[in-house]
Order: sequence, then structure tokens, then C-alpha cells
Amino acid sequence: MRIAKKAQAGTMQSSDLMVFLEPAGTLTVTIESTVLKQFGALIRARVDLVLARHGIEAGEVRITDRGALDYAIEARLETALLRAQED
Amino acid sequence: MVTPLLSSDDLRQARDLIEASGLAFETRYHDLVGIFQSGRIVAVGAREGRVLKMLAVAKDLQGGTLLDEVVTALVGLGFQAGLDSFFVFTAPGQATSFEALNFNLLASSGKSALLEYGDGLRRYLARHQKVVTPGDNGAVVANCNPFTLGHRYLIEQAASRVERLYLFVVREEGSLFPFEQRLQMVREGTCDLPRVTLLDTSCYAVSSVTFPTYFLKDGDPGGAIQMELDLLLFAGRIAPHFHIKTRFVGSEPLSRTTASYNQAMHRVLPPLGVAVTELERIGAPGAAISASLVREQLARGETSGLTALVPESSRSFLLSREGRRIWDKKEVAA
Repeated sequence: MRIAKKAQAGTMQSSDLMVFLEPAGTLTVTIESTVLKQFGALIRARVDLVLARHGIEAGEVRITDRGALDYAIEARLETALLRAQED
Repeated sequence: MVTPLLSSDDLRQARDLIEASGLAFETRYHDLVGIFQSGRIVAVGAREGRVLKMLAVAKDLQGGTLLDEVVTALVGLGFQAGLDSFFVFTAPGQATSFEALNFNLLASSGKSALLEYGDGLRRYLARHQKVVTPGDNGAVVANCNPFTLGHRYLIEQAASRVERLYLFVVREEGSLFPFEQRLQMVREGTCDLPRVTLLDTSCYAVSSVTFPTYFLKDGDPGGAIQMELDLLLFAGRIAPHFHIKTRFVGSEPLSRTTASYNQAMHRVLPPLGVAVTELERIGAPGAAISASLVREQLARGETSGLTALVPESSRSFLLSREGRRIWDKKEVAA
């Protein structure tokens, strides 16, 4: 799988997250979160896991999180990845 | 569910809710969306470019998720339109409710706060990290519409007084000459000055976000507050990143908006550690050189006076096919 076009998934509501994907030459992941201090590393690990599972090696991944749980992070990121595929 | 507000009844209800929240209903926006409950609009918000505005939630329903839903929809629409960061102006007391939505506070004055969603400022600064050199640096922010001998003089003078001069060219479109052409004229007109580093302002200085009245005609009462936020953002976030100790500006005898921006600079920047040096404009016979004077002459089709007003590099661009296409109405018709 690769990020072929811009895509977005998620909401700004509490316990959810917004995922923004854009094509890029290298892989960059940025995470903003209201609970970054406590859970930043765990969010990052979960994001990396999903990206690796789908073989994503390039693209800009931006996440703004409001305390989403693991399964929400996975679901939103996978939805965004599917939306970022070529038509 | 968030829906676009289109019908005249929707607009009337939206206006009532916005005005009941103490905000002004504005007719300029790209998207206007709302949430209905039992036929009544209970939340509303609009997007004009990167700016989210007129965000209002019915009094009896505040504190829930309605604002989150409206902002989500507006950010999604903006993202589809190709934008990746968004701004909101709000009362300083409301800033925390946007920070809870992952907005970052960019600047706050007594009356108003500017927040950004999307981490754009950090990405902008990171993008220019490699041109940052520690030292006694200065800055000029200029539109260069077009690049004149007046700009050249200001930049030369400023560069001679600092270790490195960052020349921020206004990124925003809305001027006669498009950004790429302005940047090109500046690049050619300053390439012999080794201490000058060219940058663009993105939307973080003199943009339709931070300083919309610059691009309008004189006389918007809201302009003064936003001007202050523009300068607070410069002093608080941009200047420290580039080690900028002095901002240089040309004196402004002509435009009222620019003159009051200069005054605001003297008031706002020095207490925050950025000195302001205002340099007298150089004068051609009869009048100080200014880009607006050049535009006036071009509008009349006069090109004979250009030599006294712009450097050779700008002149050859203005007289080129590409340059004429921008200012010469005959050329468009031809």
C-alpha cells in the first residue's frame, strides 16, 4: 500500500482523532495530542505498527488526538490509508 | 449531523445564533455549516480560506460536542480545498476550549487570541531551519509589489547593520504581482548582497490571516487588533527562531494602513525584545519611491520613469512579455 493522494479520517471529538495523509518522498509522522505527555509514545508505537503492517514507507502522516484508544487509532488510520489509495 | 447552510431560512437562523453569541454575521465565507435539532439550528460555523469564524453554539447546549462537530466539518472541507492548517480568532478566555481541540495558541493580546490547528507554524519554522544562523540578525518584511529601488535601499542599509538579514517576502496573493514574480524580482535585485537570506512569510506575517486589512482599502476598525496579533506572533515566535533582534521598516508617507502598522510596530515589538529601526525612504525627484507609485505609472501606461524607480532587474521583468501580461491591459487583449 502507498499514500497516493491526500486523505483524511476521524473527528475532533473527545476520545477520537483526526488523521491527515499526504504523499511525500519520505515518511514523516507528527502527533499532536491532548495527552501527548502521558501517551505520546504509545500512540506513536500503534501508528508505526499500522503503517508497517500496510507497508507504508513514504508520506506525511499527521495526527491530532484527543485521547483515542488503540482500536480507534487503528481504525481511523486504516480508513485514511484506504482513502489515500489511487481511484 | 453537520450540514451546509444554504437556504435563506437557514441563513436567517444562522445569523440569529451568531449575533446572539455576540459575534458579527459576515457575508464573506467559503463554507457555512450548521447542526439542526428538531428543525432548529443549534450550532454554526464558517470557513473563509484558512480562517474559521462565526463559530456559535446555542446557549442551552454549550459544553457538549456540537462545537467539535462543526470544527471537524470545517477542517474537513478546508482539507479537501487543499489547506492543511486553520486559524481561529477568539476571546482570550475561550482559547482553552480550542486548545482542547488541539489548536495551538500563536498570539494573544488583551482583547483577542489567535490559534492554529494543524501545526503549520512549527512546520514552517522547521522547513527554514537550515538557514538559521545565530547572531545579531535583522528582518525586513515586504510585499515588493513590485521590487523598487526603495526596497533595495532599505535592504542594503539594513543588511549593513546586522550579521544576517532575513528578507521575508509576503506570500499572500492579492497584490497586483503574483508571489512567484515578486520573489523573482527580489531574488534578482538582491543576489549581490551576501548577508541577505530570502524567505517567504507563509501565512504568519502580513497575510490574509494575520493582517487582512493590508489587502483591503483603508478603514477597517477590526484591523488594529489583528495588526497587533500579527506583530505579537512575529516577536513571540518568528523573531526568536531566526535570532532576529531588529526589524527594519521604511517610513510610510502615503498609505494610512501601512503607516499605522509602522506605529504599531514601535509600540509592540521593542518591549518583546525586537528593536524597530525606521529608515527614511529615498526620494526620486518629486516624490519618495514607492511600489504604489510604480503601479500608478504602469496603470497609466507610463514606462519612461521606471529607471528612476526600480532596479534594472525589475525594469527588464516589467517590460518583458511576462511582466506586461500582469500590468498592461493592452497586452491581455492582444
